[in-house]
Amino acid sequence: MLHLQPNNLLIQKTLSEAIEAYGNGTPLTLDRIISDFDYTTFHISNASEDKLTLALSIRTKAWQSVSQCTGGPGLVAYLQSKYANYSGISASSVPESGYDYTLLLDLGKLQPEAMKDLSLLKTLVLGYAFQLAFNEFVTLSAAPEGTESETNILHTIKYRDDENLFIKPSYDRITVIFETIFQDETDKVFGKVFLQEFVDARKRNRSIQSAPQVLFSHEPPLELQNAGAVASMNSSDTSRRFITFVLFPRHFQTPELQFSTLSHLTLFRNYFHYHIKCSKAYMHSRMRYRVDSFIKVLNRAKLDEEEEDIDQQSKQQQTRRTITGRKMVSY
Amino acid sequence: MSYLNNPAVVMDNGTGLSKLGFAGNDSPSFIFPTAIATAQPSSTKKATATTVSGGSGNSSSTNAFFGNTTSATAFNSSQTGSLLSNNLAGKRGTEDLDFYIGNEALIASQGPSYSLSYPVRHGQVENWDHMERFWENSIFKYLRTEPEDHFFLLTEPPLNPPENREQVAEIFFESFNCAGLYIAVQAVLALAASWTSSKVVDRSLTGTVIDSGDGVTHVIPVAEGYVIGSAIKNIPIAGRDITLFIQSLLRERGEADTSLRTAERIKQEYCYVCPDIVKEFNKFDRDGEKFAQFVVESQEKTRKKIVDVGYERFLAPEIFFNPEIASSDFLTPLPTIVDHTVQACPIDVRKGLYTNIVLSGGSTMFKDFGRRLQRDLKSIVNNRIAQSEQLSGTKSTGVEVQVISHRKQRNAVWFGGSLLAQTAEFKSHCHTKKDYEEYGPEIVRNFSLFNMV
Ligand SMILES: Nc1ncnc2c1ncn2[C@@H]1O[C@H](COP(=O)(O)OP(=O)(O)O)[C@@H](O)[C@H]1O
Ligand SMILES: [Mg+2]
Repeated sequence: MLHLQPNNLLIQKTLSEAIEAYGNGTPLTLDRIISDFDYTTFHISNASEDKLTLALSIRTKAWQSVSQCTGGPGLVAYLQSKYANYSGISASSVPESGYDYTLLLDLGKLQPEAMKDLSLLKTLVLGYAFQLAFNEFVTLSAAPEGTESETNILHTIKYRDDENLFIKPSYDRITVIFETIFQDETDKVFGKVFLQEFVDARKRNRSIQSAPQVLFSHEPPLELQNAGAVASMNSSDTSRRFITFVLFPRHFQTPELQFSTLSHLTLFRNYFHYHIKCSKAYMHSRMRYRVDSFIKVLNRAKLDEEEEDIDQQSKQQQTRRTITGRKMVSY
Repeated sequence: MSYLNNPAVVMDNGTGLSKLGFAGNDSPSFIFPTAIATAQPSSTKKATATTVSGGSGNSSSTNAFFGNTTSATAFNSSQTGSLLSNNLAGKRGTEDLDFYIGNEALIASQGPSYSLSYPVRHGQVENWDHMERFWENSIFKYLRTEPEDHFFLLTEPPLNPPENREQVAEIFFESFNCAGLYIAVQAVLALAASWTSSKVVDRSLTGTVIDSGDGVTHVIPVAEGYVIGSAIKNIPIAGRDITLFIQSLLRERGEADTSLRTAERIKQEYCYVCPDIVKEFNKFDRDGEKFAQFVVESQEKTRKKIVDVGYERFLAPEIFFNPEIASSDFLTPLPTIVDHTVQACPIDVRKGLYTNIVLSGGSTMFKDFGRRLQRDLKSIVNNRIAQSEQLSGTKSTGVEVQVISHRKQRNAVWFGGSLLAQTAEFKSHCHTKKDYEEYGPEIVRNFSLFNMV
């Protein structure tokens, strides 16, 4: 019903329009800004005079922290590998100024299938950290029994101003921790109810037993305390909560599962906030209904002035009125 | 505060079509009908609800997102009366979450389990419950923005009651926690959009705006950014009436397909404004080439129907200039209304109002619409001048009449909003969430005007 897709519809739409126009021999002049969740901005523009190539640039808050994640080929190389299979897509050596990463698209060679993956660019950027964790899990779990050393690997994604996302792989699980904070008082209340529901739903509903376990706490979970990542957090804020998802191998065994896990998790915060907003809208509609029904009651209780007038007229002489039409009342 | 770098969101929710996008772009990102399909409270719902769900996957439903629409007409013309969703029934399920907007709504409403409604009437929001959900979906699902991170520019029709503004503020600040909000009058934005035209020399906010959308046509005089409310005139002829008129002509002739959709397509693709109807009739009779044929493909692209297109090509838009063709209760031609409007304004702004007549909205898109309006209006004005010269015996300097058509005309309101919202000062003119919490909804009764000169 209210699912958010991992791909950006507007990128898909703009690119297919561009390809169609190119096919018709009238390439579009493009200079479009497209936005996405968590301080992400895309820019689609003509890269060359003849409008045959497009530049797709991304700027996202998470870029810096994700590219600092160690243990893999590096974010840029990872993205490169994702798009290497498609013809017509190449990474620009220098990103457009003001943006983190730029892809050059050759309209003549671009296949329609590539569009979907291009529209997933932001998910892929965040997904890199998850991919690293999936890979590390494999190494950790393969290590012989007993040598199990507490690893210090903790990937931190700073995807918003004061909310971070932590991923911690270990030998038998991957822990994903969201830090949340609410600016708005009402949201705090709704948020709490929702979080409780996340935790409880799994207990109540048998059909979702295989979903990842969810926990939430005020205190930073142990995973974070050990790694010393919490030092930077000001614990004074009482609305700060930590939501922990525990992923077991069944959640990321195959590449398909990995993708679906990471695309759900990268959208978790947006989904969460979306639902809080929907609930508020629902409350509003009930409030409006209530007010309407109260008004109806009040209207029913109103005395019918006309009739009263006639009654009085028959009893007494004409009512006297002031110049503005008000009735004169005599005691 | 990194939201400062995020582009502002510009939303123009018209009676027929919603134009949504980001400031700084030259065209709206999404244009779709301001329609919402809500789940009907019937028990048959469960059985069929799955048929339309899921946006991606099969190609036919993804198409609903693609391609900006110019049509707000439902596929099935036999529209059932909109049922209010019974969100207040004793047992509360998740019906309130079961809805579609825009093109998806039109598709969903073809089935039995959803009912379609248009929350905006005559430019004003009628059903706030539906509108709130329409916004919620357009912000998160289509525009993919977290409203807390963005400033919003919304539009309102002329003479919108301040209570409606407060409702909007309540929804945007309380439901969505948006960072900042600006509500602009559509006519003022349309004037700003006309600055792209080469005919406009000084970027003034004085002029007469003719905004003709789907449901109503407004003639709005604006002096230095302020709407002269007392002189606004409405014409009950707009896009939908023209479509209905074409439909009635098609029906009279007994064409193979007389649906509203076909009539609307014919309107957009074939209609134009002619200088003189009598001559145009003659031209058609002499020259068979003027007649056209319109091919309707059935949805599965299997069967084809051929519809002849005849006099309606010029007769349909003519109802702006000769309303008696189609209606019996409204008889004043558009140029006369424009003249009356300007005459009802203070004398010192009239000159500016005559020289800067700006067109906006989908129903002004007919070819030569502006030219005909300018000609007719000029002759009205010249006649009056001649008369007064005769009476007073003095020579007048004359009044220049200029109607401005430009390339951004169709979505002029949105485009004007995009221009203003990308300026550096925009955010300082918005009311922020903090202001709202401090003062309450009544702060949105006033917005300071700004000019990007
Ligand atoms: N090229 C065109 N020629 C004539 N009418 C058009 C054209 N494009 C759109 N329209 C009509 O314009 C109307 C929508 O205009 P719009 O300004 O978006 O309305 P609103 O703001 O009231 O939603 C529709 O009735 C549509 O049929
Ligand atoms: Mg409009």
